[in-house]
Amino acid sequence: MAAESWLIWALIAGMALIAFLTRAVFILPGSHLRLPPTAERVLRYAPAAAIMAIIVPDLALAHGALSISIENPRLVGGLVAFAIAAATRSILATIVGGMLALTLVRQFAG
Amino acid sequence: MQRAQISALREGALASVGLLVGIVPWGIVAGVAMVSAGLTQAQAVAMSLLVFAGTAQLAVLPLLIAKAPLWVMIATALVVNLRYVIYSGVLAPHFEHLPRRWRVLLSYVTVDGVFALFAGRYRPDDGNRHKHWYFLGGSLVMWWAWQISSGVGIFAGAMIPWEWSLEFASTLALIGVLIPLLFDRAVAWGALAAGGVALIAARLPLNLGLLAAIVVGVAVGLAVARLGPRNGEGRD
Repeated sequence: MAAESWLIWALIAGMALIAFLTRAVFILPGSHLRLPPTAERVLRYAPAAAIMAIIVPDLALAHGALSISIENPRLVGGLVAFAIAAATRSILATIVGGMLALTLVRQFAG
Repeated sequence: MQRAQISALREGALASVGLLVGIVPWGIVAGVAMVSAGLTQAQAVAMSLLVFAGTAQLAVLPLLIAKAPLWVMIATALVVNLRYVIYSGVLAPHFEHLPRRWRVLLSYVTVDGVFALFAGRYRPDDGNRHKHWYFLGGSLVMWWAWQISSGVGIFAGAMIPWEWSLEFASTLALIGVLIPLLFDRAVAWGALAAGGVALIAARLPLNLGLLAAIVVGVAVGLAVARLGPRNGEGRD
């Protein structure tokens, strides 16, 4: 289960570099440079696209195969979480509700 | 420190106390999820301290579990963190007169909530010489809250049985982060397209499906913004 140690340390180092550089890119040179509007839009669309592209396969694939079924606990848990997040905007409620739905489906569909 | 600096520091700290409701559960989940994904406690603590970017941390964990290649995980962290490039551009004129070590420090501690408070309160040309203390005060509160709540999650996570599937909490937390972004029409269509492509392309080698999904998502977002009325691309 656990990935190799060097891989995780390399991941941490790479992410630390990325996290610092994306924040420092304009602050550190002290530049007055403004982003062109199109670039700014790309920078806004990309994170939401990436997050959705991580979430959807995690919910809808089971062992690499499409699993659209009320007996797929992750799909049901995820959809419940989407509904709660839209209604409450609370991350805590979203996580608790999604985990509860996951557990219930496992109990009754498993 | 002068009195004005202390008072700006305190104001920033007090203003960001309201953000704690969001960051504390988020930090605990990140802590639990890191340990559930196979990080040792030392690695998880190092990630919280060095990366200090919750969305990127949580986005990478499902990929780590799915055994994605290193470069895909780092590319994903980069894409999720692109919003900081926008923040950096907005903040730069505020901080350009500061010494380099200040600019390094303020870059490292930047988070969404404090950025939003700061950008709503100060103008680049307002001549306020103490506003970086406000930013620092808010950021320090968030930094401590993140480290402590992550630590709680990391050490609690090691005691939680594997069968509870708490690694799924990182996906659920990502859903919580995603929803507010989707209130912009172009962002929402782009994200939906990306989700569809990710599903269709899940079998592509080396997780190229994820990168294809991001490219298509951005293209769809740009197209929707161009076709739709101007108010469809309002800033959030």
